[in-house]
Amino acid sequence: MSRLRDHLPLPAEGALISPPEGDATPFEVFIQLLRGKPHVHAGTVDAVDSEMALQFAREHYGQDQACVHIWVVPRSAMLGTDYEHDVIWRSTDRSYKLARGYQVHNRWRQFRSKEDVKEYEKEDLKEHY
Amino acid sequence: MSVSASVDLKLDWDIQEDPVKLVPFEERITKGELVEPDDWMPHNYRVGMLRMAEHHANSEIVGALPEGEWITRAPTLRRKLALIAKVQDEVGHGQMLYRVSQDLGKPRDQMLRDLITGKTKYHNVFNYPAPTWADVVMIQWLVDGAAIMNQATLADGSYGPYVRTMKRINMEEAFHFKSGEDMVLTMMSGTPKQKQMAQEAFDRWWAPCLMFFGPLDKESVKTSPFMRWRIKTATNDDLRQRFVDRFAPAALDLGLKIHITVKDQDGMVTEKREDTEIRRNEKTGYWHFSQPDWNEFHRVVKGNGPLNKKRVALRRFSYEQGQWVRRAIVGGSDLPPLC
Amino acid sequence: MDKLPNELKQPLVELLLSVADDKFILGHRNADWTGLAPILEEDIAFSSLSQDEISHAIAIYQIAAGLVGSTADKLAYARKPDEYLCAELVELSDEFNWAIAVCRNFFCDHHDYLRLGRLAHSSYVPLAQLAGRLVAEEQIHVQHVDMLLKRLGHGDTESRERMQSALDRLAPLATGLLEPTQGIELLEAKGVYPRIEPAMFERWTEDLRHVAEASELKLQLQAPRAEAIGGRRGRHSDAFASLLDELTEVYRLEPEAAW
Ligand SMILES: [Fe+2]
Ligand SMILES: [Fe+2]
Repeated sequence: MSRLRDHLPLPAEGALISPPEGDATPFEVFIQLLRGKPHVHAGTVDAVDSEMALQFAREHYGQDQACVHIWVVPRSAMLGTDYEHDVIWRSTDRSYKLARGYQVHNRWRQFRSKEDVKEYEKEDLKEHY
Repeated sequence: MSVSASVDLKLDWDIQEDPVKLVPFEERITKGELVEPDDWMPHNYRVGMLRMAEHHANSEIVGALPEGEWITRAPTLRRKLALIAKVQDEVGHGQMLYRVSQDLGKPRDQMLRDLITGKTKYHNVFNYPAPTWADVVMIQWLVDGAAIMNQATLADGSYGPYVRTMKRINMEEAFHFKSGEDMVLTMMSGTPKQKQMAQEAFDRWWAPCLMFFGPLDKESVKTSPFMRWRIKTATNDDLRQRFVDRFAPAALDLGLKIHITVKDQDGMVTEKREDTEIRRNEKTGYWHFSQPDWNEFHRVVKGNGPLNKKRVALRRFSYEQGQWVRRAIVGGSDLPPLC
Repeated sequence: MDKLPNELKQPLVELLLSVADDKFILGHRNADWTGLAPILEEDIAFSSLSQDEISHAIAIYQIAAGLVGSTADKLAYARKPDEYLCAELVELSDEFNWAIAVCRNFFCDHHDYLRLGRLAHSSYVPLAQLAGRLVAEEQIHVQHVDMLLKRLGHGDTESRERMQSALDRLAPLATGLLEPTQGIELLEAKGVYPRIEPAMFERWTEDLRHVAEASELKLQLQAPRAEAIGGRRGRHSDAFASLLDELTEVYRLEPEAAW
């Protein structure tokens, strides 16, 4: 084994004399993998303040994959909704505010040829359907 | 993001949970929906989950020790870097899993203290010695291979933070495992001395890996609440069989022999004979194998394995030598504020 | 210049080896902390920095290897002790004393930052390109070690005492980092290792003192004696032979084999 580790004076067994230390505080870490991409939650570090949290975050969550930017936020500064009591998305029909709520392809076909509709639909933002 | 202020951390099967809460909770789990920290959860779910995450975290940071010993002696620059990164990953896994446990109600400091005073346990497999470089190779191939099988099923559990952490961890375990494969392939394509080293290390690690998944299943396992709540998602025997089905034929093809071994107190092999049970059942496709020595398993679990004392002592050394640092950085200062 | 004039080759190889050996041995020492550092998050960070040191060493060994017809691995693992050109400061065992570990990195990282900064302006293009990238990463180390120094210097009474005594103990060794390699004047004259103003020792002590003061720690550094001979000429501490013995233990089992 590492020679230094092998020659350590190993501590006594039994109860610890020192009092419990308590933990530092949690900071949430958000990483951005590429410029232009959104930051995503990567995990949490325990630190004393934001500067230290950022140092820790960049060497921990910043080193798993190529990463260009990091945010840290003290958890105490975050406010969240409650799964049980806070309704966010409504249960009534919301299709009126979504692109996929409107089926127009077949209706266009009543007026225009297949080729013309196809050409026309080229500019559609298909990923939003 | 709060945690119910004081959690009593003991399992208590006499507790009568409020059915108005319990029924929807169990329904959610049956539907495959994940539980989040702020959700209501049965007391025993919280404690069971905490125990599992804490044990897992302990295992990661103790698991950093056997291979950590070899960082100073890795034989090439690339292997040295990979080994440092691998051991560092295990520490990172420990950090993330302690965080999951902290959010279930137990401070990290308390968990570290419980670990180094023997109040809590870590995975048995790390009580075995790694006397040669080839042990590093076998740990990364077999132990990380076993860990991946286990953790892949855990990533299918019910507690959101743990599941997310498992997925993150598995991404890194995949690197550990590939690096292990790369090393075992190199050794088995190497000189006679290297092959012999690999065989001897394989002999040391095969039985601990069979024990890795825990004791033989009792009948009760499949119906236990932890299975029902998907804290545990696969049985020990199922995982063990999958491990053998994957690794026994691979080892044989590499030219390794699978032995039944007798070991001394230090975990070194004193006798070995070929495991004649090793063969594929052509009908079922499963591989037969000899069970490891389960008496040894129970001895090691009780703290009498080759290195239990040494592993805990080194963790304790680390905790104690770092106290002044944490006191200065995390604890309140007795110095006047910096202008 | 893209091609190096012959008379600069040997001096440059020695300079490169001194930089790479410092980093390799420092990284080797620091990496032994992986899994044992005082705070989990710092453990991960410190390990990350030690991987950087070794990665930097590899990149520099590769340039040196190209000049002498060797490989990075051979340079790292297969030289005799007196062929290594690292400074004594990096050889020393920190005995898992965190104050020593931090203070050692404090001296080394600031020194590397200046050294790589000079090399980033080298007239030898391949080296300048590499050093330009490495100096940006070295800055992370400086930032990190400065943070540790400040927080421990201004932690509590005990931590300040420990840090002060580590600084006092290492300071006399630290100046050995500045021992010149052979033929360095030639490299400076040809712009392969451009001079800076104020000179290295003044810049380095100025940087260090600045951070030490902000950490409420005292720092005394004596300019190195010109005639002092140490690591840069292959003269090492007793600890070094045993360090190398450990570092190459597995490699030496089968030096020709792949691992
Ligand atoms: Fe792990
Ligand atoms: Fe792993």
